[in-house]
Amino acid sequence: MNEARILLFIAIVFLVLVIYWISITISLIYRNRRTSRLNKIENTFADIVSRYLYNDPVNPITLNEITARLKNVGIRPKNKNNIQFLIRLMIRTQRTILGSNFTKLQQLYTQIPPYGVSIKKISSWSWYRKARGIREIYEMNQSQYFEEIFKYRNDKNIYVRREAQIALVVFLGWESLRFLPYLERNMTLWQQIKIVEKLYDLYPKPELKWLHKAYKTEKLFGKKLLMRIIRKYLLHGEVDYIIDNLNHEDYEVRETAIYCIQTFAVPLSTMAYIKELYDEIPNATQQGQLLTYIFENSDIDLDFYLKQLYSDNDELKLSVAEILWNNGYKEKVQEFYYQQYPNSVLNVG
Amino acid sequence: MRKILVIQEDIVILKIIERLVSLNGFDCKAIRSLEALSIEDQQTNFEFIITDILFEGIAPLQFIAQVQEVIPHKNLLIVTNMGQDKIKQEIFALQGITGFYAVPIDLDEIEAIIQAY
Repeated sequence: MNEARILLFIAIVFLVLVIYWISITISLIYRNRRTSRLNKIENTFADIVSRYLYNDPVNPITLNEITARLKNVGIRPKNKNNIQFLIRLMIRTQRTILGSNFTKLQQLYTQIPPYGVSIKKISSWSWYRKARGIREIYEMNQSQYFEEIFKYRNDKNIYVRREAQIALVVFLGWESLRFLPYLERNMTLWQQIKIVEKLYDLYPKPELKWLHKAYKTEKLFGKKLLMRIIRKYLLHGEVDYIIDNLNHEDYEVRETAIYCIQTFAVPLSTMAYIKELYDEIPNATQQGQLLTYIFENSDIDLDFYLKQLYSDNDELKLSVAEILWNNGYKEKVQEFYYQQYPNSVLNVG
Repeated sequence: MRKILVIQEDIVILKIIERLVSLNGFDCKAIRSLEALSIEDQQTNFEFIITDILFEGIAPLQFIAQVQEVIPHKNLLIVTNMGQDKIKQEIFALQGITGFYAVPIDLDEIEAIIQAY
């Protein structure tokens, strides 16, 4: 390699390094400015919110002042990233406050400008932006966009329809259950749990008329959701709905029913009915789970347990024998054991 | 003038509580971490300290112990995002805690405590 080539190589390496250093410098300057801008927005928003919630009668904050201050720190229609940051701040703040200040905060949010950014996201082609837009709208309680969101409750994208269904719960509360029979697509377990939790947080007082209307649903996910609601709200008067699903033909509906019934204690007559349903459950594992529930929530019913002990289901016999053995019926278990073998095998004559 | 110290990392909560305290006739010192505390502040006997417990580099219980040791005060109110039952039990097991409020908070309750003082 001659001298000229080495010099050329060094020049290229140096050039690459210079470009690299320049890009790092630009990145650092940009990040520095961006952080400083975001801090300004955060400080300004904090100041506005604090003054709005605790307005000084001598120097009250006005809407014009709020808008002007937000504009000054970069909350303008063209600065979408700044507006997005403001929306995140608004949602975060709303989550931290309860009581009369929460209502005041919602009033403020209807007056300050996210410039309809969230509602614009709903028309986006990207499912992610669409779902995020719906979420922002219900988090900020912008109920004026309810009609727009409502039509996405059956969207083909799971995330979009999930957010739309949660928005229904946020805006309508218990009344949202009346749409349950008309939902067309499956609702995952996670979605069911989110809906139940949201309903419980926002509408802790049950409105049974909507629950009763929703009982008409034939959708399996709907039945599971209703049982979870009954369990969460401890609606003892509605336990019959869970019991009726203990012998449902669908495995997951039965599984949910068995899971939910465990929260409730039931009277003797109902327990007798559950014991009847027990025989109709086609899955041994689920029968075992229900057997545990029956054992833990009622007195020993010897006839019932002996019937199970002498039944054909080998998987359950051990559990039944264990219950009888530990609860004063050792001789019944021994009797069952001995009758399986002829006397000659046992060497007892 | 009676003084209250507010320590909150979240600037929005900090400003809101600062405002609440000031409008109720207290002199308020609002800071985002203990590092911002001056020597003079450490010699002031605050009527209330309203503080978070979640700060970088220090465990919640250690932070409270540090505050109780370093800053003279009469009442200590905790306002925090860490509202888990376990944390709450551990905090109340300590001496000298006036109140514990987990986010989301009703600021009217804090205002009532301050006004009643």
